[in-house]
Amino acid sequence: MEALRQRARELLAAGTVQAVLGYAAGSEPDRARPCFVRTAAEADGLIWNEHCRQNLATYLQKPEVRALGRLALVARRSTLRALLQLAAENQLADGRVVALFVADDGAVTELPTLAAIEELVARLPRGLSDADRQELDRIAALPLGERQAYWAGEFARCIKCYACRAACPLCYCARCITEANQPQWIPVSSDPLGNLEWNIARAMHLAGRCVDCGSCSDACPEGIRLDLLNHVLAEEARTQFGAEPGYSVRKDYALASFKPDDKQEYIR
Amino acid sequence: MPRIGVFICHCGENIGATVDAAAVAKAAGELPGVVHAVDYKYMCSDPGQNLIKEAIREKKLTGVVVGACSPRMHEPTFRRACAEAGLNAFLCEMANLREHCSWVHEKLPETTEKAIDLVRVMVEKVKRNRPLFPINVPITKTALVLGGGIAGIQAALDIANAGHPVVLVEREASIGGHMAQLSETFPTLDCSQCILTPRMVEVAQHPNIRLYTYSELESLEGFIGNFKAVIRKKARGIDEATCTGCGACIQKCPTKKIPSEFNAHLGHRTAIYVPFPQAVPNKPVIDRAHCTYYRTGKCKLCERVCPTKALRYDQEDLLVEVAVGAVVVATGYEVKGTDFFPEYGYGRYKDVITGLQFERLASASGPTLGAIRRPSDGQVPETVVFIACAGSRDPAKGLHYCSKICCMYTAKHAMLYKHKVHHGRPYVFYMDIRAGGKMYEEFVRRAIEEDQVSYIRGRVSRIYEKNGKLIVKGVDTLLNSRPVEIAADLVVLATAMVPQPDAEALAQKMKISYDGDRFLNEAHPKLRPVEMNTAGIFVAGACQAPKDIPETVAQASGAASKVIGLFSKDELSREPVVAVVNRTAPPLFSTCVGCFLCETACPYQAIEREEIKDRNGNVLKTVARVNQGVCQGCGTCVALCRSKSIDLQGFTNEQVFAELVAL
Repeated sequence: MEALRQRARELLAAGTVQAVLGYAAGSEPDRARPCFVRTAAEADGLIWNEHCRQNLATYLQKPEVRALGRLALVARRSTLRALLQLAAENQLADGRVVALFVADDGAVTELPTLAAIEELVARLPRGLSDADRQELDRIAALPLGERQAYWAGEFARCIKCYACRAACPLCYCARCITEANQPQWIPVSSDPLGNLEWNIARAMHLAGRCVDCGSCSDACPEGIRLDLLNHVLAEEARTQFGAEPGYSVRKDYALASFKPDDKQEYIR
Repeated sequence: MPRIGVFICHCGENIGATVDAAAVAKAAGELPGVVHAVDYKYMCSDPGQNLIKEAIREKKLTGVVVGACSPRMHEPTFRRACAEAGLNAFLCEMANLREHCSWVHEKLPETTEKAIDLVRVMVEKVKRNRPLFPINVPITKTALVLGGGIAGIQAALDIANAGHPVVLVEREASIGGHMAQLSETFPTLDCSQCILTPRMVEVAQHPNIRLYTYSELESLEGFIGNFKAVIRKKARGIDEATCTGCGACIQKCPTKKIPSEFNAHLGHRTAIYVPFPQAVPNKPVIDRAHCTYYRTGKCKLCERVCPTKALRYDQEDLLVEVAVGAVVVATGYEVKGTDFFPEYGYGRYKDVITGLQFERLASASGPTLGAIRRPSDGQVPETVVFIACAGSRDPAKGLHYCSKICCMYTAKHAMLYKHKVHHGRPYVFYMDIRAGGKMYEEFVRRAIEEDQVSYIRGRVSRIYEKNGKLIVKGVDTLLNSRPVEIAADLVVLATAMVPQPDAEALAQKMKISYDGDRFLNEAHPKLRPVEMNTAGIFVAGACQAPKDIPETVAQASGAASKVIGLFSKDELSREPVVAVVNRTAPPLFSTCVGCFLCETACPYQAIEREEIKDRNGNVLKTVARVNQGVCQGCGTCVALCRSKSIDLQGFTNEQVFAELVAL
């Protein structure tokens, strides 16, 4: 934690960045909140613990955050992946963000370029936690009807607060499809059909792009495991088309590219 | 308020027999916004079109729905009629009551119900139609011809003679293609090279033709009238401007035993070579894989003997970019090798050869200078067996299609053999004799009757070697299927005609379609035989399907006339059914966030980047823009765009949604 604060102080003092976006203590002991540190003195407020889960890359697209100038960003693995995916989608210029990656042991790695991020991300371990894997396997093992009923039951609880969208680093559209009302493809009211349409549309929009940060589920007040849904699609995109979003700044969107060696088993 | 007119066509009995057209018109008349609804026996006839025109004028219609056949059939007819009456053509829509309804259902009340549904859907759509105007795009009046065989030569000459520049690309060192390899041509037995070489020379000398030999297409981008082609000019190893084609280098080249491709591997060539004496251009190339210098770093004998010092060993491939308005694909064919046939020895027997190899044996410029001598020992064969349909018409082991030219050239081969070896005994095994064509049947009869070629109807099951003879075991199905055994000195297989080995890769590079046999697919088998589905790309010759020289030349001239027709206008008018990226008020300017994921989705590379700037030129936002000249209106980007920032003119989200809601 102290190493992180020290790096933040140095970067701000040297004028390398105009602000450091990290985590500060939240309203409860088990919560962390995002915090913008603009002076070296404020850096003491930064914390790092297991509750620092929110993907802070989400804030980068906001006009008021853009206006701050160059930023340092306290980053987890998925934050780094989000940065690379945003760059691949033309949303992040190289050098606009200095990532401060905090390893499990608290060691801080400063990553000033996208190339440095690519290089580090490639070396980090991949995959789900054991608990998530078990839950995913449990759902996947359900017969089709029961699986459908499970998700229908989950989506029935959705209150359409769009917290998942707000928390997602890749939901950066200026006007979301759900706000497009000429025509209104997705009904605004929170009814079973509308909820299903919204959640499926969002999952499809993230297929081949999701960086597995889990911020959507963390944000969901109803505790719907949206992260698992997104993870299934990410695995499909990876096994079928070799999609690895968030590992490179190269644009390689599985839903929009054709390769002669693409698998086509799903057609036959 | 919309004022929609609905016109229901009986199409004679086609629609009228199963759908109650009058009931459909009556129901349509009650739809909100519809001010006029009638039915008529033939809406596409002059009186039918007049019904539409009069209604537009009298009822001041703002939109027209014609319930009739497929829009592929008559949409242009009705749109033109609307335009003549002063209504924008794109305010006219068709409800397909024939292919989508009357033809596929029984005469039942539900069929009429469905027809009413289809009309209601289109009424809701047309209410939201906006006037659209054709898009004009300029045409680059230069043609690219791929392939310098007789198809490419003919197409290039026809286009060039019409006054348009042509870029002719041939991948071998000389133009001429397979026709240059042939000895005589059926059904007249005139010498192939004698009729071809003047055309080759004409190509070389034509002021409108830029010739790139030993070159290949690297990439093709763009669209009709505006293609950008990159040509890879492979390193010849010599400076073409300095080389005089004297041939001293070829004479001195120490590597002489390379199988000659031009002689179908029956003769030899050197490492620096011209494929054949009449090559155009008559400038050699160095075969780097076989050249002693490139392999060992020593030799350069050719450089020492070259009187003009034209050798350039360090020459590299050159990429040339050309802007063209149309492309003619004439990349030709290949024949299957004898190694394809296990029953005929897997290519093990030297004296089992392909038809193309026989052409070289019979040719005066061939390895035997025109004498029929068998490859193994150079003896004149006393008995020759020709086997037609080797690989063709053989769905079990070979190819299902007929290679079309084999019946004729086999008759020709047998005849040529008989003319050169008077006492020789030619046998032809055949399945059927397909000799459709001017003077073709007469030609085959001549082979049988005058030259006494023995035709045996039946297939050959096996060929094996025994005491220096090739034993051909077959069957004569006209003699009660009696087995036949012939001890032959030479066997000629009329092997199947197949596309070039890289035909598929080329088609993918050019984004043109091909069939299961890798032959290129024309736009319509009957009515658009020289066009590809991709606008501005045309096809000629055997790359499309097996065909003989007269057909190839005819198709090449057909393709050329299509190109000339295209080039007869300065601008091309296109349907305005294209995608458009939206614009909104500041500070958004557009709901497009510039992720450019649509860029890779677009199959036509129509997505560009547009910078929205303020008055001082500062970039406020970078968004996608669709190049209207390139866009084909497929809608892939519309479906992909997460924020629905792209819409397809004529098929907007609003229109499609209204159609769905109307159902």
